[in-house]
Amino acid sequence: MRWTARDLRSLAVGLAYLAPALAIFVVFVFVPLGRTFYLSLYNTRSTGLITTFNGLDHYIDLITSQTFRSGLVATGLFALYTVPIGIALGLVLAVLLNQRLRGISVFRTMMASTIAISAAVGSVIWLLLFNPSLGLLNYVLSLVGIRGPEWLIQPAIAVIAVSITTIWLTLGTNIIVLLAGLQGIPEEIYEAARLDGARGARMFTRITVPLVSPSLFFLLVVDTVAVLQAFTQIHLLTRGGPVDATRTLVYSIYLDAFQNFQFGFASAESVVLFVLVLGLTIIQFRFVERLVHYQ
Amino acid sequence: MRRLAALAIAVAMIAAACGGSAPGGTGTGTGTGDQSALAPGKDVKPAAKITWWHAMGGVNGEALNKIVNQFNASQSAIKVETVFQGGYDDLLSKLNTALASNAAPALVQVYDIGQRYMYDSGQVVPMQAFIDRDKFSTADFEPAVINYYKYQDKLQSMPWNASSSIFYYNKDAFGEVGLDPVKPPVTFTEITEAAKKLTKKDANGQTVRYGFGPSIYGWFFEQLLATSGSLYADNGNGRDDRATKVVYNNAAGKAILDWWKAGIDGGYFYNPGIDNAGATTAFQSGKTAMYLESSAALRGNINTAKFQVGTGLFARPDSRPKDGGNIIGGASLYIMKSRPVEEQQAAWEFVKYAMTPAVQAQWQSDTGYYAIVKAAYSEAPAKEWATKYPQFQTPVDQIRNSPQNRMTNGAVLGVFAQARARTQKMIESVLLGQATSQQALDAAAAEVNDAIDKYNKANK
Amino acid sequence: MTAVVQGQARRPLSLRKLGSYILLVVVSIVVAFPLLLALAYSFMSESEIATFPPPVLPMHPSFDNYGKVVGTIPIVRYLLNSLIVSTAVVIGQLITASLAAYAFSFLVFRGRQLLFFVFLSTLMIPWEATIIPNYMTVRSLGWLDTYQGLAVPFLATAFGTFLLRQAFLQIPRELWDAARIDGSTTFRFLREVVIPLARPALGTVAIYGFLSTYNQYFWPLLITNETLMRTTQVGIAQLRFEESTRWGLVMAGVIMVAVPTLALLVLGQRQLIRGLTAGAVKG
Repeated sequence: MRWTARDLRSLAVGLAYLAPALAIFVVFVFVPLGRTFYLSLYNTRSTGLITTFNGLDHYIDLITSQTFRSGLVATGLFALYTVPIGIALGLVLAVLLNQRLRGISVFRTMMASTIAISAAVGSVIWLLLFNPSLGLLNYVLSLVGIRGPEWLIQPAIAVIAVSITTIWLTLGTNIIVLLAGLQGIPEEIYEAARLDGARGARMFTRITVPLVSPSLFFLLVVDTVAVLQAFTQIHLLTRGGPVDATRTLVYSIYLDAFQNFQFGFASAESVVLFVLVLGLTIIQFRFVERLVHYQ
Repeated sequence: MRRLAALAIAVAMIAAACGGSAPGGTGTGTGTGDQSALAPGKDVKPAAKITWWHAMGGVNGEALNKIVNQFNASQSAIKVETVFQGGYDDLLSKLNTALASNAAPALVQVYDIGQRYMYDSGQVVPMQAFIDRDKFSTADFEPAVINYYKYQDKLQSMPWNASSSIFYYNKDAFGEVGLDPVKPPVTFTEITEAAKKLTKKDANGQTVRYGFGPSIYGWFFEQLLATSGSLYADNGNGRDDRATKVVYNNAAGKAILDWWKAGIDGGYFYNPGIDNAGATTAFQSGKTAMYLESSAALRGNINTAKFQVGTGLFARPDSRPKDGGNIIGGASLYIMKSRPVEEQQAAWEFVKYAMTPAVQAQWQSDTGYYAIVKAAYSEAPAKEWATKYPQFQTPVDQIRNSPQNRMTNGAVLGVFAQARARTQKMIESVLLGQATSQQALDAAAAEVNDAIDKYNKANK
Repeated sequence: MTAVVQGQARRPLSLRKLGSYILLVVVSIVVAFPLLLALAYSFMSESEIATFPPPVLPMHPSFDNYGKVVGTIPIVRYLLNSLIVSTAVVIGQLITASLAAYAFSFLVFRGRQLLFFVFLSTLMIPWEATIIPNYMTVRSLGWLDTYQGLAVPFLATAFGTFLLRQAFLQIPRELWDAARIDGSTTFRFLREVVIPLARPALGTVAIYGFLSTYNQYFWPLLITNETLMRTTQVGIAQLRFEESTRWGLVMAGVIMVAVPTLALLVLGQRQLIRGLTAGAVKG
């Protein structure tokens, strides 16, 4: 297709409106990304200065390393524990909060409060809860007869601990988005379904879930991206341990860049992570979005 | 005649050019001569203001600021501004980023293991330069401390806060189970036996007190190697020449891990993970009866614990190797080359002030780091400190009584931060039963050696 | 619908409703428990905290810890810094995102789809991939330890653009056609029709922008070296490090830092929900 003068003119107008945002993106996102990609092809000194050309060696070293493989596992487990449970929990609570009761907004505020808590603040609070010596969480569990695990010491449990913290942090967002989605369902649809004999669980699975699926999908994409890029919780709770159990790909990048001062290698890791996130999001849009019911 | 003169001049010029330590050299300090030339001239006027990046938080930070305020108040020529940059790791991270863009401050506090990194950065004005220029005497400084920070006989930095890793124990608990509260265990077997006695379980079989609970800290592993008389890295622990590999996957390393693992498996050692503060809390609350920590934690322990706190020598193998001893810990001060010479001069003025006996005595009694200048011990605050906290004599004696050799001088490694993190992962994997001691040691050594290799190639 | 509502209001408190309330109370407490605990601990002394079994409510509540926080770190200054930077970012984001979303919803031009995807792709770029070069850029502009350095890289938001685009798409096409017929310029339509109608969504973008900027940790850590230019999250993390065993102190700091955002949430909660209803989630 050829470009007409009109095409160019309308493009110019469009670009004029996009210019401010685009300028920021170019300077602070795309150009740095390019530089990072460039850096990934070189060896670097501790200070980041480029020394010799390395080609794709960093990438090869990365893909074949044990740390990368365990990083994929750690990231995968972390995402698997956090995203589905977080969204499901958000849905249940949103349904609970979708009732027309007096004072419901107080409860809504209390449950959505985690949206206002930063990852740093939340992690510090959960660190106190998981603390083996001040052991509040385990003490509360013991009151109901459960023997709490060593939260941040056992590798498998540590992943769950970071997951719990992240679920809690994202609960507010999930609840608010789903509540908004639920409120978008007209009462008439429920009425009609009730006339047809739908009740309780069937009402939920046949009516509620499909109609709120745009919100569910939105959260799936947004929460997955957030989890794949989560840093602060891991930094404050486990530092990637124990035995690299929580050393997600993102945390590896941090360690390689800011503890080991291997900027070339860390840049390669960044590029790989970017590709993974991009790929995952595309997959979600192509295959999962089909299940979404748009009104 | 003219030709001879020309020849003489030519020879002299060639001789000067080929001469060992040419003035202003490469700044790497490998020359054997006096380094005064690397420092600013004596008559350079010190800058009016300099910045000092440090990693002292809480009580120690307050003590540090007190000293700086005193310095600023005592004269009107120089004002030192302090900036707390978080922990040692965070500070080094920040410094690294700053160095890449020439944004470093005049004075920085970098931890002990950051030596090689600072040296290789080429951005440091060696402290030896100022020492040689002003004929500053370090004769009264603690030898162990000076030996740690000297590289090939030159002081790169000025030791500032020196600590020692010691053994803490709960004297009340000792009395309770029939152990002698005045004689703490020192060897691996002694500690194990004591821990067995001290472990207490309740009616449901749950342990309410563990005998021994050290945190998983790379520093402890380094110390245990040293008390075992083993090197950490080759080439004289990286001091005779650049280290090319680590050597701790030897018998000494295995013995340490085997001992630690046996204790965990037996249920009388406690694993607080990598959280040093958590290990201290466990000790203070009575959850563990003995543990390892820096002498810098002494005051906190005494003030918070509701029992009598005892200190003892750091753990060592049963054979008590004669050449085994402790490595000092802590950090030192570096003057950065990227700042103007006036600021370097000002930084040196402050460093001199910080090393006076009175200031050292005050620093010691306010923190729990020990004075580096021997004369400080006869100052009043130091004497008060010694009477009030007699436990404090343990780390001081321990350092003074440690033989001075390559093992106890500590390793010098460019990738130490990474190596230390890797030993922590190694210990974790053994204690959690994921690998045998030898497997874990070998795996860690392989990875660290690879990193050393890359580092050496990049910093030729 | 009104008949149903009125009917419910007149009925006495049924068992079902009571059950709902109880459930709501229990669940709310469980979800808000960590925050409530932080609040409780902030009023406790250190020796009270370090006892076993661990306490839940303070016996002798006092504001001591709060005083200590103020004495240990310049928290008021941190709060101010965070406030200034967050506000600047919000204003910037509203402007850039509105303009961009307008282009993606009402304007027609070739390459629009591609450019939209380009915008979205920025959401997937991990921040580590850009942070070092960004540091270099900011440094060479002389923006270290400045408000500009903290704010400018974040003045555009793909998330906000996306949200506003969805909201703008909800505006009836007839209004646009009518405005065209009236001879209104593109920009006038944006300013006089779109913006007012999309207020809820704009509110949501503002709140999100404020919260995410306020909650940033790594970037402020990286580019601020001077104590007085630090922001709240960096201050809190430092407090946690410095006072690693003084939990009461740390919790007081945590509460002080969380109060502004919690207040914002309480005030803007309805706004947030309305904004989200009007926009993205309907697809």
